[in-house]
Amino acid sequence: MSPRRIPRIGIGGPVGCGKTMLIEQVVPLLSLDGYKVGIISNDVISKEDAERMRKNLATEKGLMSEDLVIGVATGGCPHTAIREDPSMNISIVEEMESKHDYLDLIFIESGGDNITTTFSPALADYFIYIIDVSAGDKYPRKRGLGIETCDLLVINKIDLAPHVGASLKVMERDAKRIRGDKPFIFVNSRTGKGTKEVASYIIKDVLFESPPWTSNKK
Amino acid sequence: MNMDNEISLEDLSFLQLSDSFFPTGLYTTSNGLEALFYEGKLKKPKHLQDLIKTFLFQQIGPTDCTALGNVYDCINSSDLAEILRTDQMIYSMKLIEEVREASVRSGIQLLRCVNSFVLGNAILEHYQRLVKNGEASGVYPVSFAVACNSLSITKYRAGLMLLYGFTITVVAAAIRLGILQHLEGQKVIHNLKPSILSSVHSNIQKPLSSMWQFAPIIDITQIKHEQMDSKMFVT
Repeated sequence: MSPRRIPRIGIGGPVGCGKTMLIEQVVPLLSLDGYKVGIISNDVISKEDAERMRKNLATEKGLMSEDLVIGVATGGCPHTAIREDPSMNISIVEEMESKHDYLDLIFIESGGDNITTTFSPALADYFIYIIDVSAGDKYPRKRGLGIETCDLLVINKIDLAPHVGASLKVMERDAKRIRGDKPFIFVNSRTGKGTKEVASYIIKDVLFESPPWTSNKK
Repeated sequence: MNMDNEISLEDLSFLQLSDSFFPTGLYTTSNGLEALFYEGKLKKPKHLQDLIKTFLFQQIGPTDCTALGNVYDCINSSDLAEILRTDQMIYSMKLIEEVREASVRSGIQLLRCVNSFVLGNAILEHYQRLVKNGEASGVYPVSFAVACNSLSITKYRAGLMLLYGFTITVVAAAIRLGILQHLEGQKVIHNLKPSILSSVHSNIQKPLSSMWQFAPIIDITQIKHEQMDSKMFVT
């Protein structure tokens, strides 16, 4: 019998925008509600992010077993690895599904170097795209497939806005114009501001507010 | 003599499965090339060419290509048990864990992809079932042989595709690492054509029992690469 398909969330965004830290903030919030997650981290040139999450979320906080954080090398093609040819990621997701069928969610993190990142629907069911304020308030206005098509746009590092001359009002206006009814959230992953909302969106739109899988099985 | 107008669906399948656009995830692998690059041992196109020749004659040729040939022979003689034995044997010959895992992952995804558009091929379905049940590993050369056969691609052409595909994967990794530029890459591929042909002819008809490999420096390099903290590629 094929293993259960576990809901998958793709988290994409430029290098340094705060993808890893967002996951580190959201996983404990989901864990408070009993949800269990696995993480696959596509790094451009190292496994640093995977190792950091393994240390912070598994070793120190004990929120998951260490083998539930997996780093993936992408041959310098992070966009290809989640869109045109997601074979390696799908393979790893399926291995995780067959070994850990009690999981509620799998996060697939992927860094990249431009704003056209998207996830293949064969790989991810829900797509969160992150940008950060320090790159300037023009970012939402510049569009790009990631910003336009993601299910949830996260605008991170809002505390830096006054220091880099970025206007959150401009970013809000442009995000609304570009994305229409689709949601976006201002976040400061360092302090946790806005991360509860991210977790709420995940519970509502990905898990459909269903209880944790393990509680169903009891 | 081949006529100029003799083209077929099989020719297109040959192109489709040879194309680097075909989704197998192999572009994530460098087969240890990245470690050689960081050790400063690969600086010129000629070094890369010699390295790939070693792979073709000392490692991939006498293992993967021989396994592929045997799978075709098993299919022709309807010996399904021997396909499983070939899977197990070639899997056990992949000494480096990351190479072994990448080969299995690529093989399984290749099978799934081909199975999504080739319908009713008994061997393809049988092998995929063995993989799903955990009886077969799905290792790449066996999956590739089963997939090519399901598209009526002949044994020797499948052997060419296998070794050509390996060659372009390594050359593409070298270009991304900056070891050579794109024109030099195509020249290396062109220069390696006789070696690819020769390796296919030397290995594809051999029995399973004669599979061998001897490339200890490559093995050690791949182990070193596997253990690198910071890297772009899977070994």
